[in-house]
Amino acid sequence: MGNITLGRYIPLDSPIHKMDPRAKIMAMLLVLVAIFFPAGWIGYAIIFAAASLTIILARLSFTFIWKAMKPMLFMLVFLFVINAFLLKTGDPLLTLGSFTLYSDAVFQTLYIAVRLLLMVMITTCLTATTKPLDMTLGIEDLLKPFQKIHVPAHEIAMLISIALRFIPDLIDETERIIKAQESRGVDLKEGKIMERIMAILSLIVPLFVSAFQRAEDLANAMEARGYAPGEQRTRYKVLKMEGRDYILLFCAAAILAGMVWLAYYR
Amino acid sequence: MAIIEVKDLTFSYDETKTTIDHVSFAIEEGTYTTIVGHNGSGKSTIAKLLAGLLEKKSGSILIDGMELNLENLFRIRSRIGIVFQNPDNQFIGSTVRDDIAFGLENHCVPQPEMDGIIEVNAERVHMTKYLDHEPSHLSGGQKQRVAIAGVLAMKPKILIFDEATSMLDPSGKDEIKRVIRNIHKESSLTILSITHDIDEVAGSDHVIALENGKIAMQGTPHEVFSEVDALKKIKLDVPFSLKMQQKLAKRGVRVGKHITMEGLVKELCQSHSNM
Amino acid sequence: MPISFEHVGYVYSKGTPYEYQALKDVCLEIEEGKITAVIGQTGSGKSTLVQHLNALLLPESGEVHILDRVIKAGDKPKQLKSLRKEVGLVFQFPEYQLFEETVLKDVAFGPKNFGASEEEARKRAKQALKMVGLSEEYYERSPLELSGGQKRRVAIAGILAMDPQILVLDEPTAGLDPQGTEAMMKLFHALNHTYGKTILIVTHDMEQVFRYCDKVVVMEDGGVRIHTDKDTFFSDPDACRKMNILPPVLIRMKELLKANGFEVADDIITENALADCIARQVKKHG
Repeated sequence: MGNITLGRYIPLDSPIHKMDPRAKIMAMLLVLVAIFFPAGWIGYAIIFAAASLTIILARLSFTFIWKAMKPMLFMLVFLFVINAFLLKTGDPLLTLGSFTLYSDAVFQTLYIAVRLLLMVMITTCLTATTKPLDMTLGIEDLLKPFQKIHVPAHEIAMLISIALRFIPDLIDETERIIKAQESRGVDLKEGKIMERIMAILSLIVPLFVSAFQRAEDLANAMEARGYAPGEQRTRYKVLKMEGRDYILLFCAAAILAGMVWLAYYR
Repeated sequence: MAIIEVKDLTFSYDETKTTIDHVSFAIEEGTYTTIVGHNGSGKSTIAKLLAGLLEKKSGSILIDGMELNLENLFRIRSRIGIVFQNPDNQFIGSTVRDDIAFGLENHCVPQPEMDGIIEVNAERVHMTKYLDHEPSHLSGGQKQRVAIAGVLAMKPKILIFDEATSMLDPSGKDEIKRVIRNIHKESSLTILSITHDIDEVAGSDHVIALENGKIAMQGTPHEVFSEVDALKKIKLDVPFSLKMQQKLAKRGVRVGKHITMEGLVKELCQSHSNM
Repeated sequence: MPISFEHVGYVYSKGTPYEYQALKDVCLEIEEGKITAVIGQTGSGKSTLVQHLNALLLPESGEVHILDRVIKAGDKPKQLKSLRKEVGLVFQFPEYQLFEETVLKDVAFGPKNFGASEEEARKRAKQALKMVGLSEEYYERSPLELSGGQKRRVAIAGILAMDPQILVLDEPTAGLDPQGTEAMMKLFHALNHTYGKTILIVTHDMEQVFRYCDKVVVMEDGGVRIHTDKDTFFSDPDACRKMNILPPVLIRMKELLKANGFEVADDIITENALADCIARQVKKHG
């Protein structure tokens, strides 16, 4: 599981790491929206430059972004094949027998590839520099205004933070169960359909049983320590916006405004 | 004064079996009580009933003079801290600091006071160095120490340990037993420990032995352990010194009943040298 | 020689910041037909070691000989199934691997995976359940409804039904009460004596090592620190303490008696023999 990079927190000491998660989440949302405006290559170049700058400031390496991007490549190849067969506009680029590849197929795929790359860069800037718990605190605060329309902001945040807390444990548990069943002759890679179904069942059932056990233990531990959903509680971690957070928000808003301008008013 | 008073308590998870069967006992404030019994005898169920995590079927539970019921539940929970068996499944925060803070948040402790409380209680379990560590980088014993700090932070009057050492390795077990003993020594906390550890039982003030949801025996460790045959009947372990004492008696050597090896050897020595 | 490790090394998460060398140049020979205890502190490499025995982990360096097979570092061994059938590995808290609707089906799962017919698998499952002391009334019950100790027996039966020559158990008594622990250890003892299985037990419980095992392997910091007979091992309680191992209670009693002027022979290893020895000396003076 060590090779999944998308969405992983990288503990480093950088100005981006120190920023308020609320500012980072908001900035990310603004720039993500900006990507969807048809601002052309200039627009993408600007966003790319801004994202690159953030990555450098956050001391992340570009190979890390590349690794996060890798799983998407398969999707892009797939998309390109579909586009090549369906999109028949633009200039013909190459002909193989009865099949002709048109320029729009290439450009469309490239367009999506660039957007995808930018999205991965932007989200990685957030997830790699923000501790999962800080992220949930940020989400909780940002959802607070919606409490008036009965959005359970605190409960959502608690749910996410507990899920995050237990993901590594569940991964360990899964590995352990896989090994235990392999010792009983389960072969996850080969076998007939029925054997495969049994193999998967032999993982899923124990995983569920142990997850339920965990959930029960956890509920008891939380209740015993005075947790009651919906009740008033204080909060240990208090978030505070500083100058640099406002600068980040301003930059993100400027990028969004720039993209709108590039797309519609130029 | 009795800080816990249980009268005629009955509980069952389902219709077919009564898990706790008309149990009555009282625990004096400031004492160290151990509850023993083999798995399935109802030990953990009693702990959960006392902490209000299960609802009794009949009988009454008085904690610090208050009847345990739905109205008092929250107030009673602030007087009882409970540490469970599995170190992983009770670590709620993402770091040691956050985990200790969790209970404080629930009890609406003002935020500026929290850091001080967290540090004092981390110190009590010697975890100050690890305050910013994540649970995945802690040993089982360290996680249990954090759990203890987490309940101590809420200033309870009673601490319950529900087999808190049973999933730990020997050094983890020692660590936790030492921490519990120290806490008991330096505070007026009442301690209730559910355990299989015979040395821990021998060192406690009061022992309650359960069998099939009923109290089979209770008294001081000396009193309870003296009934070697009765203990064997309910399939409980006996300290080595008492096993030896029985074997010696069969060989015509009469010695007193000692719950520690040191006590037995001392007496053997006296009879050895006096003669 | 059925099991030997030759200069075996193993590294977790190689090439990441979490890289961790769990085994370092391990050389070890395990004797056939004996019960060997693998002890050592948490993180000393015990579990990593035993997972090499059925090729769940493959050595990063050196080679492992198991029965008639050799697994060398860098090789991609084929036919792992035949090895896994011969080396039954029971993980810690094995009750978490139960998943079938009935006890009998769950125990028959292993043999079926190794190619036994439905009928043959059921027959073996019944034999295995008998070995672990679960009677017919349990066959059709759901394994998830049983008590903790019973679940563990079912899980162990699931491995026994594969009829392995070597049985490896990672902390098989963790979390059981003293009575359950005792029954479990008696079972392993019987499997060794009656059915001739070679048994390896990873454990922290010195009382059980003292009473039921023949050989002791002490792991420390990824290497084998000591490999000797059980009696030789416990004859030096101070050396045990230096390795953070609390000697069994009988040994501690012997130490205490010696310190107080009693004469206690080294070959006394049972409670009855010790009681005889004390009684003799007390009476002589009386």
